[in-house]
Amino acid sequence: MNEIKLIDDHLFGVLDPADALLFDAMLILDNTLPEKIVWQQNTHATIQQYSRKKLKAEIEDAHQQLFSKPQHQRFRQKILSLFFNR
Amino acid sequence: MAQQNNFGSTPAQREQFFISLYKKAFPKVAGYVGKMGGSFDEAKDIFQDALVIYYEKLTTGSFELHVNEQAYLLGISRHLWSKKFKENVQQTDLDAAFDAIETKVQEPSSARLMHYLETAGAKCMEILKAFYYDNLPVNTIATLFGYSGTRSATVQKYKCMEKVRETIKEKSLAYEDFIE
Repeated sequence: MNEIKLIDDHLFGVLDPADALLFDAMLILDNTLPEKIVWQQNTHATIQQYSRKKLKAEIEDAHQQLFSKPQHQRFRQKILSLFFNR
Repeated sequence: MAQQNNFGSTPAQREQFFISLYKKAFPKVAGYVGKMGGSFDEAKDIFQDALVIYYEKLTTGSFELHVNEQAYLLGISRHLWSKKFKENVQQTDLDAAFDAIETKVQEPSSARLMHYLETAGAKCMEILKAFYYDNLPVNTIATLFGYSGTRSATVQKYKCMEKVRETIKEKSLAYEDFIE
């Protein structure tokens, strides 16, 4: 568990000096660590990709609300008139 | 990193936040894109990308808004429009063909992996999203996901990180074999 946090802090550049020393020592002693760092970096990229996809779906939901619900009709007409009544 | 925000922490609260931003800024953005000869769908795509950028700026806390939200979103949208316009002009058919090939090569493994994470790994992915992408305060995350306190939420974050990291490693290697 601690190792995951250390790798995170290393990736985010927030290791304090004592932990940075510990991390350097671990890198020398544990030859599986570099590979773990790469996969963890990869995981962060995947979390971002996943999260953006979810966020875009939420934004699309907001869009659908505005362009379908009766209470937003005036807003909808204002926007559509910019494109379709030219 | 975590800070108070004005967009809320649940999907329903975020939806209200996006609806209010739409009302504030989309008329200006749509007016601009329309004036430049763009379509409704192009205005929508550009505005939605601008909202993602704005959200990420807010959640990383690396950002202080010096102008109002409406002006900021219009500024990003204008920038995205001019970028898109230039790309359209410069991109020859050959470039487009190469892009298409590259996308095809990369997609199968990542799309399959993403599908796996969205289904089997959804709970962990939601927790990791709350920590790393939404940057929510740990006590909010503990409440949202029903943990007894901040400590168990933090323990779960690292457990999930380890689990997802192993899954990505295993699946990436497996899918690589599959493609070859």
